[in-house]
Amino acid sequence: MRALSSRGSSGAQLLLPEVLARIDNLDLLARTVVEGFLNGLHRSIYLGLSLDFAEHRPYMPGDDIRRIDWRLYGRTDRHYIKLFEAETNANFVVLLDVSRSMSYGTHSVTKLEYAKYLAACLTYFSRHQRDRVGLITLDQDVVDYIPASARNLDLCLHTLHRAEATRAGDLRKPLLKATESLQRKGILVLISDFYQDPDEVMDAVRLLQSPGHDVIVFHVLDPSELEFPFEGPSNFRDMETGEEIPLVPVKVKEGYQGLLSDHREELKERFTAAEVDYTFLDTSKPLDHALFHLLLHREKRSRVR
Amino acid sequence: MPFQFLVPAFLLGLAALAIPILIHLTRRQRAKVVEFPSLMFLERVPFRAESKRRIHHWLLLLLRALAVALVVAAFARPFFTNPAVAAGAGPGPREIVVLLDRSYSMSIGDRWDRALEAARETFQGLGPLDRASLAVFGRNAGVLVRSTSDRERLLSAVDTLQVSDESTSYGPGLKLAQTILEETDLPAGELVLVGDFQRAGWTGDEGVRLPAGTVVTPVVLGGEVPENRAVARVTLPRQRLEDRDRVTPAARLTRVGGEEEDSAEVVLELEGREVQRQRVALSANGATGVIFEPFNLSQDFTQGAVRFSETDALGPDDVQYFVLSPGRNISVLVLDDAARGAASSLFLRRALEISEDNIFDVDLRTGGGLTQADLDDVSVVVVNDRSVPAGNSGTALRSFVQEGGGLLVVTGERVRWPGELAELLPGGLTEPADRSPGRVGRLGFLDYDHPIFEIFRGPRSGDFTGARFFRSRDVQGIDPEFGSVLARFDDGTVALAEKQVGEGRVLLWTSTLDAFWNDLAQQPVFLPFIHQMVRYASGRTETVEAFTAGQVLDVSDATAMATAGLGEVAEALAGLEERVAFTPSGGTKALPPGDGPQFLNLDEQGIYDIRNPGDSDMRPLSVAVNVDLAEADLNPLDVEEVVASIASRMGDESAPRLESARASRLRLEDQERRQSLWRFLLLIAFVLLGLETVISNRISRAGGRRGSHAGA
Repeated sequence: MRALSSRGSSGAQLLLPEVLARIDNLDLLARTVVEGFLNGLHRSIYLGLSLDFAEHRPYMPGDDIRRIDWRLYGRTDRHYIKLFEAETNANFVVLLDVSRSMSYGTHSVTKLEYAKYLAACLTYFSRHQRDRVGLITLDQDVVDYIPASARNLDLCLHTLHRAEATRAGDLRKPLLKATESLQRKGILVLISDFYQDPDEVMDAVRLLQSPGHDVIVFHVLDPSELEFPFEGPSNFRDMETGEEIPLVPVKVKEGYQGLLSDHREELKERFTAAEVDYTFLDTSKPLDHALFHLLLHREKRSRVR
Repeated sequence: MPFQFLVPAFLLGLAALAIPILIHLTRRQRAKVVEFPSLMFLERVPFRAESKRRIHHWLLLLLRALAVALVVAAFARPFFTNPAVAAGAGPGPREIVVLLDRSYSMSIGDRWDRALEAARETFQGLGPLDRASLAVFGRNAGVLVRSTSDRERLLSAVDTLQVSDESTSYGPGLKLAQTILEETDLPAGELVLVGDFQRAGWTGDEGVRLPAGTVVTPVVLGGEVPENRAVARVTLPRQRLEDRDRVTPAARLTRVGGEEEDSAEVVLELEGREVQRQRVALSANGATGVIFEPFNLSQDFTQGAVRFSETDALGPDDVQYFVLSPGRNISVLVLDDAARGAASSLFLRRALEISEDNIFDVDLRTGGGLTQADLDDVSVVVVNDRSVPAGNSGTALRSFVQEGGGLLVVTGERVRWPGELAELLPGGLTEPADRSPGRVGRLGFLDYDHPIFEIFRGPRSGDFTGARFFRSRDVQGIDPEFGSVLARFDDGTVALAEKQVGEGRVLLWTSTLDAFWNDLAQQPVFLPFIHQMVRYASGRTETVEAFTAGQVLDVSDATAMATAGLGEVAEALAGLEERVAFTPSGGTKALPPGDGPQFLNLDEQGIYDIRNPGDSDMRPLSVAVNVDLAEADLNPLDVEEVVASIASRMGDESAPRLESARASRLRLEDQERRQSLWRFLLLIAFVLLGLETVISNRISRAGGRRGSHAGA
């Protein structure tokens, strides 16, 4: 991954959140990111994933003569058509957490905006791979549901664009509904800040796994949530519940960071144990990390197949 | 010693003690609100609850709370109570009136210095709530500073005081003090009476009664009575010789005290220069007279003085000033009946020719008419029992009277008054009436308030009862608006009546002034009576050579000016655009022209000059002022008599000064003001607040270096 990052460093400039924040059009943004990302990748990886050779068959009238394997004709003097493994055409659905806490951001973008960019890029990329793409936004319930379809890229991007974080979040109920809606196996990408007890998170995610979906989890947090840089006595107000507590940040910083780290570690362990791909994302970091993670996942999945 | 608060209601402010605690617990914690995605981890940090409730800087809290408590206590005005005062036994705040005698007798020795020192000591001893007034008195009284607690103002007023040339009169000063003490709302009053307590200034019936509870503190400065010489009186008789006034000054000199005969030199000064000097012998407690050589009075407002060449302890009475102007004679035209000749007015003319100052110029006219020219220089016309000519003569006479001339009508049997001149008489004349046989008439009523008879008011000042009247007329129909009856006979008929006609005066004598109808001409009172009638009819006012210090001259009052010898120039004086009076001490007082009274206070002994300040050629109009010689009597008064007379009677509680609650309240307030503990409390509170600021700044800076603003 480090090698990949260095290779794509020139194109990765476009993947910086602060740069993306200036692009208002998610379609353009996703295309820019994905194309830029793909251009920076090693070609073999790209070809190996999408145009694998499958078998030969005898030429039948009506076949496209461009698909005749002329090299084999030279050796056998017979016309064979070269067949490649068909495109994946898998269902790719992004489940985006739009709970109120996702609107937090102290860097150039909020967590929700970052998640939107990520979702847009992933969706665009998947569509580029000929997958059917869909989108579910959720907080304490399903907010928007776009079924997976080859034609729904624009709708997904549009829905992403107008998604707003307004309510408190709870994963279980909306994920249960999503599971019921997503009958066909596919790839599910869950993007959230996971401010929930790990047990509850796992319960909800297992619901997604049960029909046989591949589940990829992106855990998005703001740098301030990680570093807790606050100074001076302040009242901290919960963005979802409105609860307020007076704090002296320097006194609680260490304890807070320890608890958050424990939380992340536990999530990582639990997801790994459940064979869920877990990736932690810092909204101040470029998006390529996430995209590369998706590619790795797809490659792994194709190999397994 | 018990402790008390003057305004305990302010102690409710102790609730403000909660303020610093609230600041500690809430204010600093609520400085700002930070939106955070989730508190699920923050809530689990154990430090949170502790930081909210714990007070970290007890010292700061203590300092703030203590400062607030001290400020509150200062507003509540704490003080240590004296049980005796609280019970009403103490005097409480006082209203003090310092009444200072500044009569000229206070200039003896160091009396005045001691008086000022006594006043200063009184003011220096004022309590915080005490108020004091400074009043001075002589012949008159005045308040210099009224009821103030401003000690500096009082002391400054004392520094400006000077001895006056007035005499002592306790009445006005004590009345003034009574007024101040009656008006005060303080529970205690005190009168500090500073003076030499001369008997001459005390009449015993001043009618002053100070409010109940007033303490009278006499400060007696008299001491031993010194020997004293005085120029008691200066008389300036003048003789008129060939239109010149020849004045022969005479002075009466007195000496009080001493044991052996002594001699002294007496000087006569004119226009500021010594003209004569005489040595006289003065026996102990005796008096003598001195007569100077006569001098000619040549010009108006001649200033003069008679003084001892050496002054004694009491200087002001060693000199008498005077101002003289050449007198103008009263020209009298006597109209006699031609048939009787000059004999009928013999007594009248003889009486007018005999006078100390030869003031009457008598001219006799028997028969004939009158012209305007005949009356030009005449002051008084006497129609002595003859018929009055009508026609032009009557017109001239009417004009003469209306323009200010005097007319004396003597009604015998020959008088015939024409109808066209009836307006000149007070009423209608009746026919002569004889007294019943065997009974003579006498004067039964004289109006002694009238200027004519005023000099006869006193006992042995002239007896009209000896005159017998055999025949007289009567006057009827006197209009009370213009005329009045000045004397009546014992039967009620009018003897002398007066009428104001225009500017002039008409006197009507209903009998004769010879020896036929009465024998008044043979009585001693005849001569002064004639003089008085003619003087009055002439309208001439008696002039005085000198005023007494303390008197007030109304410059705008023609009569007053005439009395001052300034009558002739009063009118010219009023026409001046600007006038200024120069006092004997060299001061000036502007006398702006215009309507209304313009008072010139004659406070100082000496000569006052009034002049147009821009006119150096104008001879100043001068007024002489002398001290009241009553002040020269230095015999002391019994102070106890004064105090007993003015102090309220014991047990006189009919009008208590103040209700007890208010008095008690004022006493407590007085104690509090004397202690003023609140100043110290406020000072300590400010020090504590400064200390708190320093400490909290240090804590804040220390917290800043650690990257925090840890709350107290």
